[in-house]
Amino acid sequence: MPQEPIDPQGLVFQRVSPAYAKVRLVGWAISALVTWAVLAVPLVLMLTGVWSGYPAWLAWGLLGVVVVFDVVRMAIIPRQVRAIGYAERDDDLLIRSGLMFQQVLVVPYGRMQYVDVAVGPIDRALGLCKVQLHTASTTAKAEIPGLPSSEGTRLRERLSARGEARLAGL
Amino acid sequence: MTEAEESAPWRRVHPVSPMVRGWLVVVAFLYFFGQNSLNNIFSAGELPPEADKDWSFTPSVLLVVAGGIGILVLIMAGFFLSWYFTKYQVTARHVHVNSGVVFRQQRQARIDRVQAIDIVQPLVARIFGLAELKFEVADSGSTAMRLAYIKLDAAKVLRNDILARAAGLKQEREAGPAGVVPAPGVPGAEGPAARSAEPASAGPAPAPGPAGGEPVSPEAPERTVAVVPPPRLIAATLLSPWLAAVLLFVLSMIVATVASDGEISFFFVLPGLIGVVPVLWGQFNQGYNFRAAMSEDGLRLSYGLLETSHQTVPPGRVQAVMVTQGIIWRRFGWYKVVVNVAGYGNQEGALRSTLLPVGTRQDVLNVLSIVLPEPGTERPAELVGAGIGGSGSAEGFITSPRSARWLSPFAYRRQGFAVTDTALFSRAGVLTHSLVIIPHERIQGIFLTQGPLNRPLGLTGIEFCTTDGPISPRVKQMSLRTGRELFMSQASRAARARRLKDRDHWLEEENHE
Repeated sequence: MPQEPIDPQGLVFQRVSPAYAKVRLVGWAISALVTWAVLAVPLVLMLTGVWSGYPAWLAWGLLGVVVVFDVVRMAIIPRQVRAIGYAERDDDLLIRSGLMFQQVLVVPYGRMQYVDVAVGPIDRALGLCKVQLHTASTTAKAEIPGLPSSEGTRLRERLSARGEARLAGL
Repeated sequence: MTEAEESAPWRRVHPVSPMVRGWLVVVAFLYFFGQNSLNNIFSAGELPPEADKDWSFTPSVLLVVAGGIGILVLIMAGFFLSWYFTKYQVTARHVHVNSGVVFRQQRQARIDRVQAIDIVQPLVARIFGLAELKFEVADSGSTAMRLAYIKLDAAKVLRNDILARAAGLKQEREAGPAGVVPAPGVPGAEGPAARSAEPASAGPAPAPGPAGGEPVSPEAPERTVAVVPPPRLIAATLLSPWLAAVLLFVLSMIVATVASDGEISFFFVLPGLIGVVPVLWGQFNQGYNFRAAMSEDGLRLSYGLLETSHQTVPPGRVQAVMVTQGIIWRRFGWYKVVVNVAGYGNQEGALRSTLLPVGTRQDVLNVLSIVLPEPGTERPAELVGAGIGGSGSAEGFITSPRSARWLSPFAYRRQGFAVTDTALFSRAGVLTHSLVIIPHERIQGIFLTQGPLNRPLGLTGIEFCTTDGPISPRVKQMSLRTGRELFMSQASRAARARRLKDRDHWLEEENHE
């Protein structure tokens, strides 16, 4: 895993499954297709002559820009997935993510209120799951997506046990 | 369930409560119905007989009155049922509230997880001497429990009782068989000396407990730490920046009116300006008579002109504090203090989370000394002073490096942080000074972030996660090294402080770890 400048030193992050990129790609494909279909409406209307007054450069340009943007987005999905990592320490859990906007989140085990394992339809087909940690803060909702099911279960048990040992009120 | 759990009696709220909540419906109904039917009656009477024949249906006076009474009876019956089915029970560990006629709802809240207790009296409730008790817990995501409405005295007794139990006074053990009311100051009571030694006459005379012979907790004596005199409140409200903006806008409109010979008329914006009045009134009405006091139970806030509120925030329930001072207030030396308290949230919490609507520096220090009893430094006043108004590295503040001047040309020397043994102080803002204090043991999570603007300048930012509220603590644009060090050290401080500090029964001896 590449060491980014903001990554805490001396810490090895576990990567999530590369197969998670497929989950993200499916999500990307759905949202991209919907956007393209909507943006294609004026173009089709113009080409069929229903709305011939519509400027051609706008119809093509808008769709073109969005398509280029979406393709770039698609191209970096595998890298984004590679950038997701997590590390368990004795007292806390660290989760890093992001390429452009990088972030590292640390949540002390004592703050965890409960741990969820969520499995979506595509996750299930690929044998993946998502572990979510909930704290009293809505912003500190830590998510580790794209974990193999066995690792997800192990992590949940482990986190619950550690949280239990260190748990207290707010 | 312990024995005490089961034996606690179920009670009902005051019978008038549905009326207090629904009086507006009844008044509105009476008004419209009365007006309509009167109109009908009069117009029917005045109609010439010929016209009468055109009407397929003439409402007879009797029918109208009977219908009106019928609807009123239905509303009353609804009120009665909702009252009848609302019951509450306060046991040693839980508060239970059952409500609902068709869809029954049962809620319970753990007393030792209480985050804050409010006693609220809307105007109508005040007329009846009633009050609403709001009980904020941060337990399994349930929000406030409300008991509306009960007698003010009963509400106070209940509040003191809940707080005493939450504090771990273990009164129920001394309570003995039902009916015996223990003297609050019995020697050997397990509370700390301050509490036990409190003479019964210190607070208001111990009110007779609600029927059932439960132990009555004395109201903890309080010491006023800050008051806001009404003139200062009015002045501060009028000197707020947004009102200045409104005035500026009005002035520019007047100028425009004169300059354009009345083509752009100032009077166009007049209706909009009337909207300012309720806002100002609201601020005045809510902030009127504001008083912050310290008691054994925690911080007490009371305020309000027509609708009064009394809030109690137990110690250690404040997740973050922010002191702010706008550019206009700086001339007068006024500050505002807000807090994050779990359950207060952000929506209606505008004033609920305000510790001090407008106060002097001494008021600020007084209030801070309560919510942050151990500042973790020997020079708290100087630190807070440097945090609110200072810049540079005075008092141990670490500010943004010079490279941050491209992003924050004015603020880079000011924005920064200082760490004490117990809390992190983060300051920011050039026009509006702000100082955020977050105790180490209240940090829920920490984000270390770097966006595309920060990366080439070697900067990084940190966001601290707390419960929802008006404050989102952060430190912007630190050098990469400082940021990374703060992130790691703060993470371990958070975990460590947590192990030392965690307790729900804050008056009990610390007995774990």
